Amino acid sequence: MIFAMTSHDASSLQELDSRDVTIQSGDLVLLRLPNGDVKGVKVEKNSTVAVGRLGSFHANELIGQPYGLTYEMANKILKAVPPRTLQEVEDTEATNELINDGEFVQPLTIDEIEKLKASGVHVSDMIKMQIEQHANYSLKTEYSKEKYKKRKEEKYSKSFTTIEPTLFNVCEYWFNKDRARIRDIRVDSLAQMLNLANIRPGGRYLVVDDASGLVVAGILERMGGEGRLLTICDTDSPPAYPVVANMNFKPHVTSGVLVSLNWATSEEDYIPIIPPSDVPPDQIRSERQKSRLNKRKAVTDLLTRTRDELFSGEFDSLVVASEYDPWSILQKLIPYVAGSGSVVVHSPHLQILADLQTQMRTTSQFLSPTITEPWLRRYQILPGRTHPTMNTSGSGGFILHAIKIYDDPNASAITFPRRTKPKKAKTEHEGIELFLHDAWLGPWYIGVRRIQRRVALKSPMSPIVLQRHSCMVFVYIFERNLHYVHAMSAGLLSRESRMRAMSRSGVNTFGREVYNQLIVQCALAANLALQGQL
Amino acid sequence: MWSTAREIAAGDLVIIWLTRDLVQPLIITPGKDFNSKFGHYRHADLVGIPYGSKVASRTGKGFIHVLRPTPELWTMALPHRTQILYLADIAFITSHLNIKRGSRVIEAGTGSGSFSHSVARTVGSIGHLWSYEFHEVRASKAREEFARHGMNDIVTLTHRNVCKDGFTVTDAVDAVFLDLPAPWEAVEHAKVALRKDRTTRICCFSPCMEQVMRTVNALNDAGFTEITMYETLLRPIDVSHVPVLQPVGEISEKLKQAERKREDKRLKQIAAGRQSTSKRKREDEGTPVKDQTIMEEAAEEAAGGSKRIKTDDEDGAPLDAVPTPAMDLDPHEESDAALPTTVASPPAPSPSPIAPKKISVSKVMPEVRGHTSYLTFASLQPFEPPAEPAPSAAAAMLAPKPKP
Repeated sequence: MIFAMTSHDASSLQELDSRDVTIQSGDLVLLRLPNGDVKGVKVEKNSTVAVGRLGSFHANELIGQPYGLTYEMANKILKAVPPRTLQEVEDTEATNELINDGEFVQPLTIDEIEKLKASGVHVSDMIKMQIEQHANYSLKTEYSKEKYKKRKEEKYSKSFTTIEPTLFNVCEYWFNKDRARIRDIRVDSLAQMLNLANIRPGGRYLVVDDASGLVVAGILERMGGEGRLLTICDTDSPPAYPVVANMNFKPHVTSGVLVSLNWATSEEDYIPIIPPSDVPPDQIRSERQKSRLNKRKAVTDLLTRTRDELFSGEFDSLVVASEYDPWSILQKLIPYVAGSGSVVVHSPHLQILADLQTQMRTTSQFLSPTITEPWLRRYQILPGRTHPTMNTSGSGGFILHAIKIYDDPNASAITFPRRTKPKKAKTEHEGIELFLHDAWLGPWYIGVRRIQRRVALKSPMSPIVLQRHSCMVFVYIFERNLHYVHAMSAGLLSRESRMRAMSRSGVNTFGREVYNQLIVQCALAANLALQGQL
Repeated sequence: MWSTAREIAAGDLVIIWLTRDLVQPLIITPGKDFNSKFGHYRHADLVGIPYGSKVASRTGKGFIHVLRPTPELWTMALPHRTQILYLADIAFITSHLNIKRGSRVIEAGTGSGSFSHSVARTVGSIGHLWSYEFHEVRASKAREEFARHGMNDIVTLTHRNVCKDGFTVTDAVDAVFLDLPAPWEAVEHAKVALRKDRTTRICCFSPCMEQVMRTVNALNDAGFTEITMYETLLRPIDVSHVPVLQPVGEISEKLKQAERKREDKRLKQIAAGRQSTSKRKREDEGTPVKDQTIMEEAAEEAAGGSKRIKTDDEDGAPLDAVPTPAMDLDPHEESDAALPTTVASPPAPSPSPIAPKKISVSKVMPEVRGHTSYLTFASLQPFEPPAEPAPSAAAAMLAPKPKP
């Protein structure tokens, strides 16, 4: 089966897009400059857009264009240029053996270069001229030549690329521009938050966003105009979410989806102070008053509706990226989250989430609160020159995720033998437990069990400490036999290290000698202990 | 996809959370039982209770949590047919490929369907996912699974080798995700499938750098631009609630006390020694001995008989002191607190008279995933030769032109 176009025809799909495919008048457009910097500009019809030292251009040149193209700027006119692909670089024998720092290699003076720039010479010609004048250019390696050309291009090129305001690009732009304002939410952190919160079209979400609206922008983008997003803010007017403006959303994406309350109006027992809007018709004196009253009524109705919606609860998830105490937020809002709903809290600081997790464990409303730190590494991809980028972001903050549950206080945990505390019942079967503490924990435990079989002690005795081969051997007397040693070794080692120890036993070369010595030592210790008691 | 009702109904797929490492799917079939080491449950008893409930076993011992499935929980619970993608990669790929409501996406291969479920959730009912799997058995298993999960409207699964035969759609999708052993063989096919009226994106998922290099070359040759590569991971963090750390001042007090005690004991022994020597002296009628060193030697000699007691004392002290720090450092204490707490608690009351306060401390888990795969991204720009005026999106859609 071949689908040329799927069940949805192109025009209806475009209406459902969260933004126009082409740049519209009034849009905030991100431009990538030759040096890699990203600049945001407002594109208004019939205006001139200034791009720093690169110059300016007529906004109409961009309007109607798709995102992602590269333009060269000349006399306020834009010329689209084909996208650049990577160039293969030939390997050469050249090295920097004969190149010294501080040598005079460029006879072209700054004044001459400025003149060339002013005369409108194309950047590629200018670089060519510089290369011709350069005394040591031919000595450079091919990689170095590439770098040189790229550097010059960054300096002189009057081009830029429009960046599609996808969530990824907008988040990256803000993170590089001012990460504090988006509370260190890096693009990978945001992506994980959206997935963990199970954001989908048609869902209902409760959000506290003090990260300039980045989280709100992400959720709106994913919802695509279907569902409900209720945010709680700390202002008495509707919150400003500046990041949302960068997304150039169509109106349907926000209107009918995004509503807000603040920390006062979100309290159930608080009665908001609202001026009366239901005035008898005979008291309305002017049209102006009438329209003002209508407006007031609309605001009041929206507030009442939104409050009712919050208090009726059953939200799919709660997402928090706030400057306020997260525990206080959770306590207030968790009643409105549906069973099995996700709770996602982001913070730039681990300590805040660590304390939060401890507090969450004191109640039984949260299943498995887990903290993770997103980690991201970008690579430079160039033929023959691929490596992780030299500068990278140190942190994208931390994420706590939990699932809201309905507790059953009558349910009791099942207890497994390995979790039980050994009983101190006195029995006639007495054994010895060797407690070995060392980095080589694994193999030693195998030893323990063997010794257990060899040394059968008949009477109780005081503990003995043996120090040998930089490993401490605690000999404890235990009022039970083998089972306990099994239980103890099972409990003290993780499953992985236990398995490793099993597979390494016997044939392990590390130990043979040391291991035999240890057995002897332990036997001695046991005898010593016996004698001491006798 | 899955039930959005508040309560569980017969026929629903639910996720049974036993422990963090034991999460499994279950289709509610009244008449059947669910038995595990965490107790016994009747499916019928689960019908009608709200999602997210903790349910006690019929025997009274043990409980389970019954959760609403999400793609994230499905990733934890799904039957593995292949190596699967996890949250960090799935989330990052979804974000970089700009997958959202209404997106049309290609995925090859389907594998165990971990990524498929996440994409299906994100694109919603107006989006679409074309998924390709070249392994016939895996393909049919995945197809059954998608049908059971009510994803037939969103996902089209095809059994085919896309490297050889290409995709089944042309100029239709916004994003392509290739999780194949040789993604470079499918790059040209992907270009055909991608729509040409706007920026579209591709991601290739390969564990080895050599694969990345070949993929990058193929992408470059096919005219893809903005080639970037990332690695992303999750570092799980372990939080424990521990008593406030002891200041060394307290330790120094303890040591001073021990020193004083030892000195007292020494003096006592000297006194005892003097007594015995003076007794002996009196017996011998010898000269008085004033040299203290000789006294001490004598004292030690005299104490020879009581050496037994002395060693016992010395053995006792370090044994109390040593195990405590050793236990604190034990990385495995978290899961099995039984022994460490019993050992660590006795010394607690002695140093500080106030009840010990607790603090939350955190560290990265000792064993973490170090690498999953390299994520190579590229985009295809809707560039038209500048000779013609840039056509409108609709015109481009009707007559997609090959790139220069």
